[in-house]
Amino acid sequence: MDEWCRTPEESHKLLFSDLAFTTTALKRHPKVYTIWNHRRWCLESMPEGPGNADDGGAEGGEGWKMSAWSQEMIIVEKMLSMDERNFHAWDYRRYILSHCPASLKRTDSDELAYTTRHIEKNHSNFSAWHQRSLVYTKLWSEKPESRTKALLDKEFELVKQALWMAPDDQSGWMYHRWLIGNGEEPEVLEREISVIEELLEEEPESRWCLNSLVHYKRLLLQHRSGEQHQLTEDCRQSLNKLASIDKMRRQRYEGISSTL
Amino acid sequence: MTSHLRLNAVYWGLTALCVMKHKDALDREQLIDFVMSCWDEKAGAFGAHPRHDAHMLPTLSGIQILIIHDALDRLDKERVISFILSLQSPSGSFSGDRFGETDTRFCYCAVSALSLLGALDRLDINKTVEYIRKCKNFDGGYGSDVGGESHASQVFTCVGALAILNRLDEVDSETLAWWLSERQLPNGGLNGRPEKLEDVCYSFWVLSALSILNKMTWIDGPALERFILSSQDNDAGGIADRPGDMPDVWHTLFGVAGLSLLGYPGLDDLDPVYCMPKEVIERIGLRKGWVALPRRSE
Repeated sequence: MDEWCRTPEESHKLLFSDLAFTTTALKRHPKVYTIWNHRRWCLESMPEGPGNADDGGAEGGEGWKMSAWSQEMIIVEKMLSMDERNFHAWDYRRYILSHCPASLKRTDSDELAYTTRHIEKNHSNFSAWHQRSLVYTKLWSEKPESRTKALLDKEFELVKQALWMAPDDQSGWMYHRWLIGNGEEPEVLEREISVIEELLEEEPESRWCLNSLVHYKRLLLQHRSGEQHQLTEDCRQSLNKLASIDKMRRQRYEGISSTL
Repeated sequence: MTSHLRLNAVYWGLTALCVMKHKDALDREQLIDFVMSCWDEKAGAFGAHPRHDAHMLPTLSGIQILIIHDALDRLDKERVISFILSLQSPSGSFSGDRFGETDTRFCYCAVSALSLLGALDRLDINKTVEYIRKCKNFDGGYGSDVGGESHASQVFTCVGALAILNRLDEVDSETLAWWLSERQLPNGGLNGRPEKLEDVCYSFWVLSALSILNKMTWIDGPALERFILSSQDNDAGGIADRPGDMPDVWHTLFGVAGLSLLGYPGLDDLDPVYCMPKEVIERIGLRKGWVALPRRSE
């Protein structure tokens, strides 16, 4: 750019024109890496520009930048409404959230609400569940006191709805596994094992129920050594069942069973 | 329309031909001349096409083609090494070029290229490994950057890079191999992430990672093989992303690569870490500890 453009005004005009160009291009080619990257490059190359009411009222010469960045979230939300699993758009969303001017930043609760809207629209949107896990991870590392039992219980309730509505869908099961984590809380493990066993009674051929039960009971073993025999036997039975209903992954189940 | 990936496509085609034991179907001298015509003298690396700017992706492809044809002496190695190293940021991530697109794909390209050039000692390996660690997700998988959703192609790039760097201790093998095994759909094909469609190219991304983790038996090999074979175009030849679609060189390579790893008879062995003929990688002493299925006889 600086080989050809002499003035900030010229740069600003060209960059705004390129941003408009990439917006049009993205509608036809929403998954092309270089278009998304060109957008970032334009935003990051935007020169210091006037700070007056016509340019969004920003102070300190940030008018052009504010004007450019303020459009980004609208565009990425439009792209995600067209394809809710477009990882380019989700990556770009994360980029905007972390790099935009302070006055345009979204709060964690705004972002959680955004993921809730996506999840309620479609439980099978793992990209939204993944984003939700990232927001919580960031929030809990900044404010560990915010990771309360009440909050976690609510999350388990939310994902339980997804599991009951679509027990064959991986998305909710993956998020559930993230919530369980390393299985440090045996009461939570036992409660969730009960929830899944209840679902298994309704869906006796559900391999996700069986898979999760094996994983969680193995985690529970670290807390309930007195129940080792029963838990191990339960896992073995679940793995045998899995080997017969999910023949594609039979060797995995047999492999785990042999290590119990 | 395809000049932006031409050099990459030549590598895809050549590698597929090698695996199918027809390396000489493309003229060696013409290939080498084409590779060298993509040299960007200003940057000291390869672009995708003559007069295109240098970029990490075609740079790796150019190096791979020269090595397959034992013509690395044509390369100004020092300049290419400088180009690659210049694209690493302080965080350890790699860009594709000076315009800053960051992706674990470029991390893999950098590590693979430096390894093939015998220049891994020039890389800050710890910094690179630390960055890859940050791209790991709870499900054992890897994303395109820190915070990115796990995706099978990024799993290949990160696991492949770690294999080259002898840092597979970084991988949560049990969890990742489970996640990879869950990519197989009832039709035998593999997808790239939860609840997405099957695609032949995942036959390589997923399978290579499983091979590196020595867990290829965790999926149904015969079912995958049937899926890849049914994605062939029996009139025009080639392999498509799924049955009934138009074939292209990309899916043909990764379909053939997948078949090779599955032990399909009549093919040559492919090294899943470098996605190059196994005998080439063994010749230059870069073989890692991956395990493919045994080659079946015809």
